[in-house]
Amino acid sequence: MEIKIENIAEQTIINIKGRIDTATSPEFEKAIAPVLAGDMKDVIIECKEFEYISSTGLRLFLVLQKTANAKKGHLIIRNMNDDIKNVFNMTGFTALFKFE
Amino acid sequence: MKIAHNYQWMLLQIKENPDSIAALTQKIVSSNPEIMGSAVAFVPDYFSSKGKYFAPYSYRNGDTIVTMQLGNENYEYFYMDWFQIPTSINKPYWTEPYYDTGGANALMTTFSIPITIDSAGVPKTIAVLTVDLALDWFTEIVSSVKVLETGYASVISKAGTFLTHPKKELIMNQTIFSYAKENSNDELRAIGREMQTKKNGFANSTLNGVHRIIYYTTLPSSNWSLAVVFPKSEIYLPLRKITIILIALIVIALTLLTVIISKVIGKQLIPLTAFAKSARQIAKGDFQTPIPQIKTEDEMLELHDAFHFMQNNLLHYIETLKDTTSAKEKIESELRIAREIQMGMIPKTFPPFPTRKELDQYATLIPAKEVGGDLYDYFIDDDKLYFIIGDVSGKGIPASLLMAVTRSLFRSVTLHFDSPAEILTNLNNSLAENNDSNMFVTLFLGILDLNSGQLQFCNAGHNPPILIRDDASFMEVIPNLPLGLIDGFQYQQQEKKIYSGTTLVLYTDGLTEAENESQMLYGEERLLQLINSNEDLNTQNLVETILEDVHSHVKSADQSDDLTLLAIKYNGPTPKYEKSVSLINEIDQIYILQQFIEEVGEDLDFEASLVMKLNLALEEAVSNVILYAYPKVSGKKIIVSVAYKGSDLIFTVTDTGVPFDPTLTEHPNLDLDAEERPIGGLGIFLIKQIMNEVTYSRIHDVNVFTMKKKIDPKNE
Repeated sequence: MEIKIENIAEQTIINIKGRIDTATSPEFEKAIAPVLAGDMKDVIIECKEFEYISSTGLRLFLVLQKTANAKKGHLIIRNMNDDIKNVFNMTGFTALFKFE
Repeated sequence: MKIAHNYQWMLLQIKENPDSIAALTQKIVSSNPEIMGSAVAFVPDYFSSKGKYFAPYSYRNGDTIVTMQLGNENYEYFYMDWFQIPTSINKPYWTEPYYDTGGANALMTTFSIPITIDSAGVPKTIAVLTVDLALDWFTEIVSSVKVLETGYASVISKAGTFLTHPKKELIMNQTIFSYAKENSNDELRAIGREMQTKKNGFANSTLNGVHRIIYYTTLPSSNWSLAVVFPKSEIYLPLRKITIILIALIVIALTLLTVIISKVIGKQLIPLTAFAKSARQIAKGDFQTPIPQIKTEDEMLELHDAFHFMQNNLLHYIETLKDTTSAKEKIESELRIAREIQMGMIPKTFPPFPTRKELDQYATLIPAKEVGGDLYDYFIDDDKLYFIIGDVSGKGIPASLLMAVTRSLFRSVTLHFDSPAEILTNLNNSLAENNDSNMFVTLFLGILDLNSGQLQFCNAGHNPPILIRDDASFMEVIPNLPLGLIDGFQYQQQEKKIYSGTTLVLYTDGLTEAENESQMLYGEERLLQLINSNEDLNTQNLVETILEDVHSHVKSADQSDDLTLLAIKYNGPTPKYEKSVSLINEIDQIYILQQFIEEVGEDLDFEASLVMKLNLALEEAVSNVILYAYPKVSGKKIIVSVAYKGSDLIFTVTDTGVPFDPTLTEHPNLDLDAEERPIGGLGIFLIKQIMNEVTYSRIHDVNVFTMKKKIDPKNE
């Protein structure tokens, strides 16, 4: 798994490459820590190369959304594939996020 | 004592003449050498001239005879026994023997006779005539009696005193009683008493080891007893001698007789030996042997005729026997043929389908003596098990032929028709068509789909099978009709789902109708009960247990019908595919799961999205185990396996950690918004969304978590 965080203008782009599973989720958690610390005015999660998510990953996504809401920021998920979208559907997460 | 009596008479003549009386006494003594003395003692004062005592007495003194008067003041003879007793009893009297101390010290006895006269009609004793006797001569006379070799005679007095005896020391010194006491011989004492009381008789006695017979008799007038002793051995001696001679004679005579008889009979029996010889020849099988000719008109001729008759009859009898035996052999060979046909038609190798793990199958057929036409058959085609069990009406070759026809039709009809109803309808029509004999077959047909466990079946008048799942019970079947009766009959089939681990037991009525000696049937109830208590056995053991129980019921009674059993156990579909992997309870081992499921996806040609879903479910399940099953312990194994059975993909996760049932976790509330959604609880939820069936069980300290996904063939 590879997480790349880009700060362009006011936007923060979190690039997820690979899989977020129980083994790799601590790494993901560490990577997004600075984002969570910021104001989260405009955060984009780029899922073009995002392959797989399991419940620990979902939990971290939820944390991101909750934090953004609390900070009155914005979170958008971009280019999520159908398989992962399906997982979001199954868990009812789809309603909690904005997708592009 | 005739002498005395003579003198008595004489005395009576001269009694009035006292002086001549003395002379009389003298005469008595002198004339009789054995008489020692004689007296005539008168009662007191009989002769007034002679005074009170008048008793002239003469006695022998050496060669002379002395005469004197017996009585005086010092010797008042009136009180003496020899005077007083005869006087008072008015009978002659013998005194007890005594030793004459005055004279020669000889053994004496005195015989006294009362002299009586008639005095006005009353006898009155006037005197006593006495005669003294020495007993020597008496002893000698008695001793001279020769009794056999060592026998003897002995006289005892009234009191038992020995008067004569070979043992001279006994004479006058001992009585028979004292002698008996001396020898401690009670017998002798008893004999003594007998001799005193009885007149005469015989007695047995043993003295000093010698057995003897004593004959005793009372001597008249003296009451003494004479005993004659005969030693027993000597009595019989002459007899023995005669006996020996006689025996010798008899032996000689018998020997002679034996010799003569054997010679005579031997001659007579020569023909018999000849007959025996002929008989032996005949026994060897030579029936034409000549038998001896008999010229005499006796029993031998009868024997000859009998032999001749027997010879003829034997020949005839053997011919008959040959015919009967060959007839019997023919029948038995027919029975054998029937049995061979029957046994050739049924499969006999077990297990019948060793490569098919879905099945555990066993069957047995025990034919009755006269084959009863039972059959069973089965085969697998396209993952389906076709099986039948049947019973032909009738026995013997016709039954086994019909059974063979049925079996062949079964094999051919199933090539063309799929459903049980069609198969039996056609089978029935073929059998009914040419059925002149009105024989029929009861049959049960089943088609079991080995993948799905679905059973299609059709019954034709046969006993319903027993189905064992949790317990044993009879299946509900539509009876329809036995095959071969009504042409055109439409058979109705049925369906039933058979679950893994279920056993079907099929049988014919030869089992339930097996009789014991009291003609009691084995019965359906007993079969059901037996199976109920033996559910867990494999099919072979179950069949053998049932057979054993039937045998213990029937015991030695004849088996009247074929006994057939077919047991089929369905183990469920076999996995088409199996794979497993093991990992340690550390979170970075998750990648192994990913590898595993991707391999499975490749092997089974799954779509990527399916693989991902399966991966997710697996990961959720396994990470739960990694995080919670082994608290504080690392290096523990977790095994993940997958099996593809039928259309089910079954994942199993096993660990030996603490008991934990993930299925118990609460479902998350999907309607809450982000703020309200709790962070945890999604794992098991996802699993349940992805998988069709999720189960947990704890088996012997092992957590077993199973997830089943139905695979649509489209997915592959």
